[in-house]
Amino acid sequence: MSGRRILAIFRRVAQEIRRDHRSVALLLVVPIVMTGLITFIVREGQTPVVEAVVVNRAGLPGVVVADALRAALEKDGGTATVVADEATARRAIEDGTASVALFLPAGLAQAGPTTLTILTDGLDPFGEAAQASAVQRAILSAVASLTGRALPTIEHTTLYGTPTDDPIAPFAPAILGFLAYFFVYILTGVSFLRERTGGTLERLMATPVTRGEVVAGYALGFGAFATVQVVLLLAWGLGSVSVPAVGPLPPFSVGLGLPIAGSPLLAFLVILLASLGAVSLGIFLSTFARTELQVVQFIPVVIVPQFLLSGILFPVSGLPDILQPFVGLMPITYAVDGLRQVLVAGAGLATPALQLDLGVLAALAVLFAGVAALTIRREVA
Amino acid sequence: MTTQTAPPGRQTLEAPPAIRATGLVKAFGPIRAVDDVSFELRPGRIYGLLGPNGSGKTTLIRLLTGMARPTRGRAEVLGVTMPARAVLARIGYMTQSDGIYPGLTVGENARFFAAAYGVRGTEGVRDALHLVDLDGRLDTVAGTLSGGQRRRLSLACALVHRPPVLFLDEPTVGIDPLLRAEFWAHFRALAEGGATIVVSSHVMDEADRCDELLFIRSGKVIARGTGAEVRARAGTDDLEEAFLRLGSDVEATR
Ligand SMILES: Nc1ncnc2c1ncn2[C@@H]1O[C@H](COP(=O)(O)OP(=O)(O)OP(=O)(O)O)[C@@H](O)[C@H]1O
Ligand SMILES: [Mg+2]
Repeated sequence: MSGRRILAIFRRVAQEIRRDHRSVALLLVVPIVMTGLITFIVREGQTPVVEAVVVNRAGLPGVVVADALRAALEKDGGTATVVADEATARRAIEDGTASVALFLPAGLAQAGPTTLTILTDGLDPFGEAAQASAVQRAILSAVASLTGRALPTIEHTTLYGTPTDDPIAPFAPAILGFLAYFFVYILTGVSFLRERTGGTLERLMATPVTRGEVVAGYALGFGAFATVQVVLLLAWGLGSVSVPAVGPLPPFSVGLGLPIAGSPLLAFLVILLASLGAVSLGIFLSTFARTELQVVQFIPVVIVPQFLLSGILFPVSGLPDILQPFVGLMPITYAVDGLRQVLVAGAGLATPALQLDLGVLAALAVLFAGVAALTIRREVA
Repeated sequence: MTTQTAPPGRQTLEAPPAIRATGLVKAFGPIRAVDDVSFELRPGRIYGLLGPNGSGKTTLIRLLTGMARPTRGRAEVLGVTMPARAVLARIGYMTQSDGIYPGLTVGENARFFAAAYGVRGTEGVRDALHLVDLDGRLDTVAGTLSGGQRRRLSLACALVHRPPVLFLDEPTVGIDPLLRAEFWAHFRALAEGGATIVVSSHVMDEADRCDELLFIRSGKVIARGTGAEVRARAGTDDLEEAFLRLGSDVEATR
């Protein structure tokens, strides 16, 4: 390995990216816009408003219960209207004037367990689950007010803080890790593919440059941009600067101000190792692509499984047993877990779980780099 | 930098060959792109590889530069069996496709290849760009150059390290006549300085500028000699005609 030649390749890669304004935007601006948008959605998202129609089949006791229910629902901004029969209730759901229909059964007042039936249109599972639990809460509160005895409520606390403090907090590690990985992969893959198809790789291989030097130069070049990206992303994600009102502008704050329990430096280390792995992965996969479109076509093959299996969307513990072994194979799993350790659990370098994450990420980066070097075909190593 | 400093003329015939092919074969499945080729090429001379599309010129050059491994036989450059990384610093290779970075400027391209060849100092880069008449366009982004200008930059990138052995795969395609004449004058100057130059082409009117011609057909060298020798053998004054006649001989004896 010659440092001068690696440096030459590094400089070349950096010059090329710097001049490519679209890539710079993709690497630096898009992740910031995306994290901002996701955070906004999660933080400012609407709480469900229940607009219920109630069919009372329980006679007089039902009227009392319906009144208590309405009072409970209205407290949260919802409504409850008693309608004559099931047909009317179904119509109300159908034409959208009600979000939920609630049927009070005939045996409501009798001792023993009773079942209340609710009806929704079934088009929006998540929204309707939220409606159902809102109704459940209203029922509990109605029962409490009818019997005059407050039922116990649950207050959820965690080892590392209260989960309800900031709804974005549990998502932040996954979002940061994923974005850093994804864009670096795309850019490296496309850039190296151009090297292969544009004839420059053949030409480069006709110089004394070794394959290891090529991979090292690329890792340095894209690693440098990944570093800038990660620093920006972390500053934006973790920092929050309040800007006072100026003229007609209202005061606002820049930055997401995500809570962080551990050291930002460690968070940086985790993301950087993950992006280096993404550089090598991009080089490796460009072997199997002929066009830039094909690099994009690898996204469903390479990126989406990582998205599904690394605990970004679904918790790892909730995945079917048969998929569990694959979880351990996904590089992003370790990036997301490492970031969780740092951001949420406040882990330091002495924490074994974080050591494992860092170790695996570093090992994967080195392994992929080796494989990537092997895919650069050349007769003389 | 080089051992080939022999002056041009008669003596160079006595110098050891700079390039040697021995029973060279490259097969792609059923296709024999290079089919049992043997020759010795001496320093200080310009050799023309002439042949139609698909005859195996590029493949032959790739074997000689170590970009591909022969199926059989042996390729040697400067006494070293290819592929060998150590010799690459003394070989210049202008590929058939431009092989320059469109996102870099003219100057950045040339400097990058110079660094890749391990060249220190800027003289080689300056001279190479001067030769191709691009020294006034140092800061132009290569992607915005005209086709011929890109070709010229590509040649410059093969010359930055002043190699004693030079492979040029169709270097003059898309180059205007004036500059083409300049190119050939420069190739001649390099050869007189002791360089071994292999130029592939299917433009016959360039053939007479070479010291020796190697006619390639279906991966075989079907004739070798100076322009005059080849003409005499084929019994015609027209090189193009000679090429066709010699080619049909091969077809007949197959
Ligand atoms: N990598 C490869 N895989 C399969 N076949 C190949 C490969 N490279 C070359 N060939 C085949 O070898 C033959 C010779 O190709 P080559 O590129 O050497 O021709 P050429 O003389 O340079 O032609 P041209 O004048 O068009 O540049 C062709 O039939 C080509 O299809
Ligand atoms: Mg060719």
